[in-house]
Amino acid sequence: MAAKGKAAHLIGITIVGNVEMFMYRSDKGAAPKTWDEVKANADKNKAANFYGYLVRGKATNPVVADFLPILWSFGGDVFDQNWNVTIDNAASLKAVKFLVQDLKAAAQPGPESTDAADRDRLMAIGQGYQSTVWPGEITSVIQNASVSQVVGKVAYIPMPAGPSGKGVGMMGNWLLGVPKASPNGQAAADFITWLTSTDTQKTYVDNGGIPARKSLLNDSALNQKNPYFSALAKSLDAVPNWRPRTDQWNAVETILGTNLNAALAGTATPEAAVQKAADAIRTLMKGAGY
Amino acid sequence: MANVTHARPAPLNRAGAGRFTRQERLAYTMLVPVLGSIFLIVTYPFVLAVIQSLQATNGGAFVGLQNYVTGLENPLLYEALAATAVYAALVLPTEILLGLGLALAVHRGIKSAALRALFFGMAIVPLVIPPIAVGVIARLMYAPSYGVINHILMLTGITHDEINWLGQPITAMPAVASVDVWQWTPFVYLVLFSGFLTVPRDEIEAAQVDGASGWSQFWRIELYYLRPLLILIVFFRLADVLRVFDHVFILTGGGPGNTTQLLSLYLYRVEFKFSDYGQAAALAVVVLIAISVVYSLVTRVLPLERR
Repeated sequence: MAAKGKAAHLIGITIVGNVEMFMYRSDKGAAPKTWDEVKANADKNKAANFYGYLVRGKATNPVVADFLPILWSFGGDVFDQNWNVTIDNAASLKAVKFLVQDLKAAAQPGPESTDAADRDRLMAIGQGYQSTVWPGEITSVIQNASVSQVVGKVAYIPMPAGPSGKGVGMMGNWLLGVPKASPNGQAAADFITWLTSTDTQKTYVDNGGIPARKSLLNDSALNQKNPYFSALAKSLDAVPNWRPRTDQWNAVETILGTNLNAALAGTATPEAAVQKAADAIRTLMKGAGY
Repeated sequence: MANVTHARPAPLNRAGAGRFTRQERLAYTMLVPVLGSIFLIVTYPFVLAVIQSLQATNGGAFVGLQNYVTGLENPLLYEALAATAVYAALVLPTEILLGLGLALAVHRGIKSAALRALFFGMAIVPLVIPPIAVGVIARLMYAPSYGVINHILMLTGITHDEINWLGQPITAMPAVASVDVWQWTPFVYLVLFSGFLTVPRDEIEAAQVDGASGWSQFWRIELYYLRPLLILIVFFRLADVLRVFDHVFILTGGGPGNTTQLLSLYLYRVEFKFSDYGQAAALAVVVLIAISVVYSLVTRVLPLERR
């Protein structure tokens, strides 16, 4: 979906293949195909000091990043195609309840204050069964043998499917672009071409980079060293969603993330939190001319 | 009645034909860097903020007081003010009482210069650690599951279950405030310990000769001399409380919900998340004026100088 009043057009080239995926302890169970299976596995594997699902629920950006793939997989969304707010429709509310009630019931203590580093730490010390995950978390912590106790025990898959029948990952943005005013635009474009070429990207991978080229992500030798590459390639094939492309997103994310966090903490009911968020986002978007 | 003649003061020694003496010119020249710096980092940004507060965020058209009205109408502002008041009510008395107690204990109980120097050095350490680093460490300590605070509480039998320190409103604010107390109580200690050293010995000795108890010496003599410093501490710490950001952002991000969204975090979000520069500037101007009024009232009402 393009920003309001603007046609979709290419403005940059991806340098990091940054799609939010799913991780689970493959030494303890099979890959979940759906969010229902995620919930079932969470309940089944939950034990003392071992949590069935790790919720990244800290206020604002963290909880929204954790929630959006669930929301989309449940057929909900923050906006429809015409920028009408839909976070309070039935599908969206169902997704909210799934996170703040169903998954929370099997989650670690204090999910309301958990950020990515906390989630990684729990997973790396062997106290978590499954969670969403960004590639950067995998390379820096989960697959890092110097800090992780679960190397070889965790598998990575694209986002499980929800009631919508789809599993939708989220695309993060690490882009290369050339400013219009650049006096050396062609040189910059040549540099991007070189940097994203297969050979350079291979060097990039050898030095810990996360590529976006499928030829590298599907390379069997590279998959041996980087067990998440295959899932990343499939996640890209499945066409991940972007956060809504609006210049109001930072504000929307703050509103949604504050209210989701309140629902997760139990200081607001899911219905009240969603309604409050929807009302505030509608007011915001109206004020911004949407 | 005798005639009294008044000698006229001697004319100032003017080195040139200008309005100022050489000494005056030298004084003004030496003040230029200071005044210039104050103008650049205080006056100029303040004037810009006032101008921005009167303009529309989009386009910069003059909108009068609209930004002020919008800002003051938002209930989130009052939630942030209430959270800030709770935070101040927790940290200010705690830091002052702990700092005062520590300063008194060291002043009365430790006579060794080496030990006093050791305490001085230890008190400096928290002050020089960046608040963001303190926040990261505190986050690890308060974390459920592997945090050391819950571990100690359960090991000693004080609690049987983990406390979700940062995830529930009733404990999140005290947890956030405790970090402030850890970092800034040493500042209070250092200032008040220095204050204790300035109390005239003869007054204390006279009181002791008269049989005054230790408490009486503190209450009737030492506290009197510490009073200006205590007010100074309240000023400094209150200003800090109004701009505290780093460790709150790291620990809770303002959550759960908006429970720990203090004023500075709220202003940050209005400016950088909602990109409402006009409203953010208006609120900043209101806060600055409110602080100035409070400070001028306090300085008029409370005795800042020893008489």
